[in-house]
Amino acid sequence: MNSTSSLRAQAIFMSPATMIAVAIVVPPLLYVLFTSIHGSALSLAEFDAVLTSSLFRNTLSNTLFVTGLSSLLSLLLGFIVALHLSRQPARRRRFLMILVLLPFWTSVLVKCFAFMVILGRDGIVNTVLSWAFQTKVQLPLVFNTVGLMVGMTNYLVPIVVLPVLASLLAIEPAVYRAASIMGAKQARMFWTITVPMSLPGVFAGLLSVVVLSLGAFIVPALLGGPQHMMLSNLVNFYNREVLDWPKACAISIVLCGTVIIFAAPLAFWRGRKV
Amino acid sequence: MSTIIHDPHSRRYRALGTGLAMVIYMFLLAPLLVAIPMAFGPTNSLTFPTTDYSLDLFRIFLSSPSWLGPLSESLKVALASMAIAMLAGVPAGYWIARHEFMGKGLISGVIMSPLIVPQIVIALGLLLYFSYARISGTTLSIVLGHLMLSLPFVVLMIVAGVNKLDRDLEFGAELMGAGPIRMFLTVVIPQLVPSLVAAAFLAFLMSFDELTISWFLTGPNTVTLPVKMYNELLWELSPVVAAISALLTAISLLVSIVLIALRKETSVEI
Repeated sequence: MNSTSSLRAQAIFMSPATMIAVAIVVPPLLYVLFTSIHGSALSLAEFDAVLTSSLFRNTLSNTLFVTGLSSLLSLLLGFIVALHLSRQPARRRRFLMILVLLPFWTSVLVKCFAFMVILGRDGIVNTVLSWAFQTKVQLPLVFNTVGLMVGMTNYLVPIVVLPVLASLLAIEPAVYRAASIMGAKQARMFWTITVPMSLPGVFAGLLSVVVLSLGAFIVPALLGGPQHMMLSNLVNFYNREVLDWPKACAISIVLCGTVIIFAAPLAFWRGRKV
Repeated sequence: MSTIIHDPHSRRYRALGTGLAMVIYMFLLAPLLVAIPMAFGPTNSLTFPTTDYSLDLFRIFLSSPSWLGPLSESLKVALASMAIAMLAGVPAGYWIARHEFMGKGLISGVIMSPLIVPQIVIALGLLLYFSYARISGTTLSIVLGHLMLSLPFVVLMIVAGVNKLDRDLEFGAELMGAGPIRMFLTVVIPQLVPSLVAAAFLAFLMSFDELTISWFLTGPNTVTLPVKMYNELLWELSPVVAAISALLTAISLLVSIVLIALRKETSVEI
């Protein structure tokens, strides 16, 4: 293959995707950036207004709180599931994987709808509790932090399981045999082999979970209620209710900045561990 | 392994781990275990569990224009964005996997960027851009928006698929004088069929299920099924939503089955 024919082939193979990237991936992001600084006016007024407003500050701290808590919870739950899956014989693991993959592919809307029914005032949980205690129980389980965390965790656990499981399955069984022969107990093997060797998967899972959680929109809108807005919901609010595009764009830029601040170190560690 | 470990605690640890894992599996499946039976429930209220099962909710869903419109819009958009994502993403994925070229990092970085940028930011940017281009609210704008999300997935899956291929067949074809396009069509594509099927199913599901971008771009005549459903969930909890949930779940079940069946060949961990 000489170089001219290779160039021609490259143009044929790459140009549709490149055209899409140039025509519809880059311009929207530039539009957000330009609108946030008033285009060529290069004004930081919107950022100033956004960063000093208490609505924004509350939303930012709520976003960070929800992201932190839901990442930790889903990491914990996801790790337990991955560990369990990694210790099953291959056939049973394939079956159990369906229990993780099916929720993974289920629409977030369906999950939110179901949790509204499960956690609602007269929902399944309250009905069961009322029956168990023989009194009318109406615990507030949805449109608050509880509902939001249940929804977020349910959405994020499968995303942790897949990379962690891949890491766990990559550990050589001989390492465990050697440790066992040398007299290591279960707990010791867990902390000195399983945990360190699963770190690449843990970091990969954590990276996805943090990025998805910081940008979460649907789950907080449906299960969190108006008091538990996250940054995405604030962008939506300024776009739809206030019709203030520059502010929506400024918040979007802050959101992207937050994602970069949290994702960059995770991506760096992940790169080093792999 | 179990023959070597003589730790008396090991059995207890294992039982505890299994128990915890079972509880988490139930937690993950809970939404499905609730949404599906409710789809066969009565039309007047959302009760669970119910005693009178029927197909009434499906009948309402499939006979009311206010639901059929969004359903056909979603099908149209999903098929169109899947087709474009495949046509652009398959050759690009192959070329990125097999060749080094100038600007490779930049182009693939731009194609992949929608995976990292929060969807709401993409949605807002597309709204501004398409308003300027005077195509906001059209089916075309929604197709292009969904394309941004499905293209990186198609490219990723094809790169993974191509990396697993035996390169000798391609070298052989080249020695025999096949040009790059002919080699791609007659040697690479036939071997890639499992990856192609998986990528197409994924691209379809991502679009059919997509809410955030559609929510920003939708116009009065281009309401997609998730947008309609989201509106319904925001303002009133209509039992018909249960039937649609069951439909969406059936589609994701189909996709899971296809992906699991193809897993051996593609081994993509998604």
